[in-house]
Amino acid sequence: MIDCAEYRRTVLADPRAASPELAEHLAHCQDCPAYSDRLLRFEARLERALRIDVHVPRARAARGGWLAMAAAVLIALLVGTLWLGAPHASLAADVVAHMAGEPEAWASTNVPVPADGLAPVLAEAHMRLGPDAGMVSYAQSCLFRGHHVPHLVVQTARGPITVMVLVHNKVTEAQRFDEGGYRGVILPVPGHGSLAVLAKGEGEDPAEIESLAARVKAAIVWTG
Amino acid sequence: MTPDGIWIQALAPARGSRRNALISRPWHHEPEADLYMKDDVGGNAGKARFQALCQALRPDLLRFAFWLSRDRALAEDVVQETLLRAWKARDSLKNESAAKPWFLTIIRREYARSFERKRLATVDVDELIAREEPMLAAAHDQDLAELRAALFKLPEEYREPLVLQVLMGYSTAEIAAELDLSTGAVLTRLFRARNQLRALCGEDTSMDPAP
Repeated sequence: MIDCAEYRRTVLADPRAASPELAEHLAHCQDCPAYSDRLLRFEARLERALRIDVHVPRARAARGGWLAMAAAVLIALLVGTLWLGAPHASLAADVVAHMAGEPEAWASTNVPVPADGLAPVLAEAHMRLGPDAGMVSYAQSCLFRGHHVPHLVVQTARGPITVMVLVHNKVTEAQRFDEGGYRGVILPVPGHGSLAVLAKGEGEDPAEIESLAARVKAAIVWTG
Repeated sequence: MTPDGIWIQALAPARGSRRNALISRPWHHEPEADLYMKDDVGGNAGKARFQALCQALRPDLLRFAFWLSRDRALAEDVVQETLLRAWKARDSLKNESAAKPWFLTIIRREYARSFERKRLATVDVDELIAREEPMLAAAHDQDLAELRAALFKLPEEYREPLVLQVLMGYSTAEIAAELDLSTGAVLTRLFRARNQLRALCGEDTSMDPAP
């Protein structure tokens, strides 16, 4: 069996490494499970840190004087509109990146969030949720793009799905996405931003996710 | 001709990366677009597909170039040049699922060329951090901004494999192939990268094994 030093050396190089030897060590070691948990939390933050917002406006002028600036403008015109549409990608990417920070939310369970725990989370987005949405097993008010938004997990017949109510992020039409091991859809909610619904696993049927998303959307009662 | 114009159904590659995006988007009807649309009517669908591929990959390409260069302006230049070169060499991309590593390889070459061309001066890392503050900032999350600043302080030989692994979803073997290193060397660099990064962020590294 490998020792703690070898285990930690391996997971520091790749926190998602998996092998029978690693699993066996983890099962029998007193200290390494906590070490591994800390490392995975750090890893989730690292992934979010690397996923910078590439749409932040440039803060400084182009270097190299007017010629360089003119060249940059020409290139921008030629290579052109690559940035267009990218905010959609960024929204989906940010939703997925947010998932990495709360892996515990995905547990399959039949224990609902108590009503007095769910209501304050929903109230922040000025909404209630009707029973047709399904059983909510996780509800947190999460910081997302500078705003606190409801982050819910709803248990369905096909497993847990995550719902993020993005009242501050408008989209003009439904956007499917497949990223980071998650599949989902972002639906427009006129007057209330958008609704991101996603499932874990690349085998998920996008049409089924869209159907679940539509069901959740229909179950929302806006109060403000 | 350049890989710009119409941006339609964005198709990301189906490579092993866990982080690739496949996102449906509407037409963005640009003035230049009409030319390409007419081309497509003429049967040039491959061009539109290549353009869509570029657009889908561009955010991650920019992120990679940014973390490589620690300079947004340079990253944008490198990615623009990469897309132009890729466009000219598009016939050599036989398999769309291999697009991402293909682009990343071109980016690495372009970045190396930028050093040759510009003879970039050595800049103090704190100055780099201050210069790129808008990119490193994270709304309401100072820890994240500090982690980004710590990434700037990592030596390039550690930062690059870490970005390839965490952001691009590369396996150890894929990183080794891209960087022309042995897998053992890659694992050592990744180990040291996290060890140093955690120390820079004030994490408890007392239980880390000796490098």
